[in-house]
Amino acid sequence: MSAKPGEFTVIGRRQPRLDGFEKVSGRAVYTDDIVLPGMLHGRILRSPHPRARIVSIDASRALALPGVKAVISSRDFPDVLFSERQPLFARDTANYIGEEVAAVAAVDAITAEEALHLIDVTWEPLPAATTLREALRNGAPRIHDWAPGNVGPTHEKDYGDPDLGFAESDLVVEDQFRTPMQHNTLTEFHVALADWSKPEKLTVWTPTQSAPMYQQNLAKGLGLTESQVRIVYNNIGGAFTGRGRPKPHHFIAALLSRRTGRPVKIRAAGDEEFIMFRGSGETQYRFRTGVTRDGRIKAIEMDITFDSGGHAEWVMILWLPAAVMNWLYHAKGSRYRGRFILTNSVPKGSHHGGIFGRISAGWMQHMTRVAEAIGMDPAEFHLLNAMDPGDTGLDGTHFASCGLKECIRAVVERSGWKQKYGKLPRYRGIGIGIGAQASGSKGAANDTSAAMVKVDGDGLVTLFTGIPDMGQGSHTVMSMIAAEVLGIEPADVRIVAGDSDVVPFDWGAFSQRGTFMTGNAVKNAAEDARKQLAAVAAQLFGVPESELRFGARRVFPASSPQKALSFAQLVGKTFNSPEGRYVMGRGFFNSPRAFGPLACSFGAQVAEVEVDPATGAVKVLKVTAAHDIGRALNPLGVEGQLDGQVFSGMSQVLYEECKTDDGQVLNPSRLEYKLPRTWELPAVEYILVETIDPYGPFGAKEVGEGPIVVTMAAIASAVANALGVGMVEEIPMTPWRVRAVLDRMPG
Amino acid sequence: MLLPAHDYVKPRTLEEGLGVLSRSGAAVRLLGGGTDVTFNMRNRLMQPAVLLSIRELPELLGVEEWPDGSLRIGAACRLADLAAHQAVNSRHPALAAAFKAVASSHVRNMATLGGNLNLDTRCWYANQTQEWRAAKGGCLKTGVDACHVVASVKTCVAINNADTPPALIALDATITLASAGGRRTLRLADYYRADGVTHTVRRTDEVLTEVIVPPTPDRLVFIKDTARLGIDFAYGTIAARRAADGRTRLVLGSLGPAPVVLRRAAVIATQRGLADTHIEEAAEAAREDLGVVSNLYTPAAYKRDLARELVRRALTALRDMP
Repeated sequence: MSAKPGEFTVIGRRQPRLDGFEKVSGRAVYTDDIVLPGMLHGRILRSPHPRARIVSIDASRALALPGVKAVISSRDFPDVLFSERQPLFARDTANYIGEEVAAVAAVDAITAEEALHLIDVTWEPLPAATTLREALRNGAPRIHDWAPGNVGPTHEKDYGDPDLGFAESDLVVEDQFRTPMQHNTLTEFHVALADWSKPEKLTVWTPTQSAPMYQQNLAKGLGLTESQVRIVYNNIGGAFTGRGRPKPHHFIAALLSRRTGRPVKIRAAGDEEFIMFRGSGETQYRFRTGVTRDGRIKAIEMDITFDSGGHAEWVMILWLPAAVMNWLYHAKGSRYRGRFILTNSVPKGSHHGGIFGRISAGWMQHMTRVAEAIGMDPAEFHLLNAMDPGDTGLDGTHFASCGLKECIRAVVERSGWKQKYGKLPRYRGIGIGIGAQASGSKGAANDTSAAMVKVDGDGLVTLFTGIPDMGQGSHTVMSMIAAEVLGIEPADVRIVAGDSDVVPFDWGAFSQRGTFMTGNAVKNAAEDARKQLAAVAAQLFGVPESELRFGARRVFPASSPQKALSFAQLVGKTFNSPEGRYVMGRGFFNSPRAFGPLACSFGAQVAEVEVDPATGAVKVLKVTAAHDIGRALNPLGVEGQLDGQVFSGMSQVLYEECKTDDGQVLNPSRLEYKLPRTWELPAVEYILVETIDPYGPFGAKEVGEGPIVVTMAAIASAVANALGVGMVEEIPMTPWRVRAVLDRMPG
Repeated sequence: MLLPAHDYVKPRTLEEGLGVLSRSGAAVRLLGGGTDVTFNMRNRLMQPAVLLSIRELPELLGVEEWPDGSLRIGAACRLADLAAHQAVNSRHPALAAAFKAVASSHVRNMATLGGNLNLDTRCWYANQTQEWRAAKGGCLKTGVDACHVVASVKTCVAINNADTPPALIALDATITLASAGGRRTLRLADYYRADGVTHTVRRTDEVLTEVIVPPTPDRLVFIKDTARLGIDFAYGTIAARRAADGRTRLVLGSLGPAPVVLRRAAVIATQRGLADTHIEEAAEAAREDLGVVSNLYTPAAYKRDLARELVRRALTALRDMP
């Protein structure tokens, strides 16, 4: 289903990153590179107690230190809220180690650090519950008055008729699973530089996945309107769901700037990165599936308990799984039960792969067990129950394009699944996982992307977009889309991004929406510009607009290519005409649906692993990955995304874990929080399945987080297979955990 | 985290440096490549009044081959140079492998052998920022009578995570400690103490100047088990040496506060040979030999499993060497 020869000139090309040279040569500018005149350095004093009452705060010694310009705390800003029911600075009680208590602005970083030690806080430690287990036990201290039993928000949802589904099942299988606290390990540390020296305008330089989200939150918390908050972001060193919402240091940098009248930069220092990070929290799962003897899934149930930390900050992750669990299989009904449990630990958000990567590591092991329980090959089982194009999930999500079955068949064939499944020697394992992921999604927000295209007299084009490029390659793809429409080269398209005062609205780079939503907006904007140019060209050539062709930096009538004008010539004639038209294209895109995604990507992966029974070490030998990405606009970029996600998925399943003691992270560094390196990467075989989605730009869908969900499933299932157990009930599957599983096995 | 204020002294000769040490040794921290010391200083785990740089002292540099076949390695030699050194590689390839096993190539370009031999012990509760430790209230390592790893212990259980000692101990290496008062030589095996706080017998007025590796025709293997290739501290290391007459020596690293010489396992390998069943016996004995281990960095049960596996692998490798 690849593009027909000549169908496109740019789309489908293996386009190297346009920002690649700048990055590898060290010239790319990141937020921490920015130094403003008069800039101060901020540092945050954090609670050393998992739970304690603040008796008093005395900043007089800190304020007396030469070079200290301001010290602020809840005493100064008692009413600034970070989220609902959550003051920015701990007010009466701090609820986790690392909670913001006070902040300093000083002339340099070392003075700010020294000043922290001179703020005298008198604490009265209170009984704490720092883990799910402690928070849920009888007699646990109640962390917030509004949450009896420490149960925070809950979400319960039935789709279809799950009770009927279970009643019609011949067999019901139930499993439990647990995932730990995990950190996003962004390459670029958390940093914010705020200038609020004029009361009517706050500018914040910071890496972000969504400028509007930051504008909205900061405006609400600080009493401004949204456009009074300007967000500026340069290059971004990764996000992995870790930059979806502003964090307290964004607010604090702003308040310090307001107080001092000077710009203030706060950069997370060392282990602070692991203290305020808001990655994923400990999570417990119960999966239940009803199935008939001939392998038809009748009912799906998921019960998830999230450690939300000291506050319930990001409730979206609570309700998200309810819909997503309906996107793979046909069933009579599904049931979701989710709840947030408050604990005395850092508030949680999400990690690369969203909540569904982690669910999938357990759920797909469970589904393999369901298949085996009825004596079916798990690949056949997935295939039998999988969605088809034109299907609609129980939650109402419609799949206009769907290559799920094609993906399953492809990985089964290319991995040699039939020759290997059930036939490998002991301690070698093979596992299959499948997954679906949204290409953008309506729900919490309106999910709009807009773009502008400015065509200059020399034929070069400037594209104004609000999509952040945090490493995923969106700016390169947006250049390709604009270039394809206008018949020019990607290098002719300069991107202007990263300034909310300049670029049009874009909800941002999360929910895997960049290529699909922003891509459509850019395509619309470029088409608007082309239409204006075509009107002039049609007159010049004396042909209808439909006869015109744009390509290879030329514009010509289809019937007489020899009459071609260069793109630059056409732009010149358009501008230097009696009309004097200056071409600017506008476009935006939003889904016609009221809720949920307009398109989903699908994927299947097979992983092969080898377990060393003596040390428990797991080696991933090979991953065969097939993904229905609609159309690969830039196959090189798609493969890059696949590489990164196979890597990160493997990392989460086998390596990553924040170890804690009394609410304190024991391994708050890249040395002790063990991410694998490229040495540990397995061989990856890619199969790009192109289903050409009717709504996607040139048929494309997301490849932002779909693959990682499936990688986590395939590797986890392969380890369970190698060990010969139904489920490995916990990730990461570290050597000692694998050894413990082996020790528990009979014989 | 920024470096605390300190004086930096760079003597031109060893004697000049030893003079500084004899006057104010307790306030001085010796600086080799600085790959570990500067991190610990940023974390305020070390706050020396003086950093004394010894990395360019001529007396501490160079590899010499002595007439008796011994190698004399200056303590300030960089690990990258030693890993690539012709004489080291031709005489003791497993020792070269141990040099190369340390951290990453970037670190080895800076780090010295003396620095690795003196590498401070490591612990989850100590190797943290000052603020982090303050939240826990300190421990034995920071002068407070408490241990957060094993509540009841009176001696610090922080781990000696250096990669180079086991192979050098297995090779019977000796070291020279110099002070203004003179020189003393001791076996590297006698240098370490099973105490995470004072983990060597070096006095504060002394500098480890050189390592002497005697010649041997024996076989030597070195194995490092770690989470990630090319950068990490070890979960466990082993150096194993075997003479033509079967005498075997086994030294484990990174599993406790000091390298561990395995006695029972070595006796089994020496007396019974390296048939599979005897290797298994020796490996089992190693689990017992290991003594008390803690749940630090890896679970204690895993450390015992790993010790057994390292012995198994090392003895098998010795047996199968061409």
